[in-house]
Amino acid sequence: MTDERNEQESDQELSGRESLELIARMISTAKRDYRDTGVSGLLWGSVITFCSLVTFLNSYLKWEWLGYIWFLTFAAVIPQVIVSIRESRNRKHKAYEDELMGGIWISFAIAMFLLSWYSSVYQVPQEACLFLVIYGIPTFTTGYARRFRPMIIGGIACWVFAILSTFSSWPYTILYPAAAAQLAWFIPGLILRRRYLKAKRQHV
Amino acid sequence: MFKDLNPILHSQLRLAVVSILISVKEAEFTYLREKTGSTAGNLSVQINKLKEAGYIDVSKSFKDNYPQTICKITAPGVAAFEEYVKDLQSYLNIKK
Repeated sequence: MTDERNEQESDQELSGRESLELIARMISTAKRDYRDTGVSGLLWGSVITFCSLVTFLNSYLKWEWLGYIWFLTFAAVIPQVIVSIRESRNRKHKAYEDELMGGIWISFAIAMFLLSWYSSVYQVPQEACLFLVIYGIPTFTTGYARRFRPMIIGGIACWVFAILSTFSSWPYTILYPAAAAQLAWFIPGLILRRRYLKAKRQHV
Repeated sequence: MFKDLNPILHSQLRLAVVSILISVKEAEFTYLREKTGSTAGNLSVQINKLKEAGYIDVSKSFKDNYPQTICKITAPGVAAFEEYVKDLQSYLNIKK
């Protein structure tokens, strides 16, 4: 009885145009459904901003131990791995671009590690510019692929700051990564977090 | 002459499910229910029909002690969907 009713309910007659509209609507719904918890954005936005501002302050304080503040970025990899595993487990659908995005961010992490190593071995002039150029790549790509405008803007901001940093002198150059981290990760992370919590409340 | 539209796909809910599954790699039952706005019973019946037709793969498991149903479109499902859209376009006389 229930099955019969269910079948009737689903077999509503569709006109050709209605069918095409339904297909377009469903594909668009699935494609636009970029639901990220925003935790990663908030984490990295906070860590990079904090490290940059501490480095800026330390240019006046000159405390030797504060020079190691950037090791915090290595420590932040641990909560990031936990967050990524948890998000992957809780995801209700997997998009085709998920693996691609994962690969891009992993290669970004490796590139950052290698660039940090390189700049510690050799004295790289205006190194903030190089870091900012690389910050922009995965940020812009993610925003572009997910059709998420705040990250597109964030990625472009990284590149604009990269140019501006070449016109500034130390220690002011280190303020650009702080600003970039806010625009590229923290603010988009905040937007995603709000969106995620709103959607969660609606589907409890 | 117009070809008859595939009756398996020419149904509101089944077409909605296949349209979502063509856009993603895989989706949970709860996700499909949320996006199509259907009832669990109705969706379950239609998913079974798509599975019987060989258009989707359905795998059942447990996640945190709760049953989890994951749906994925198959190669014949993709081919049938493409054919359906082509028939629909010729039916509506839409030129690519």
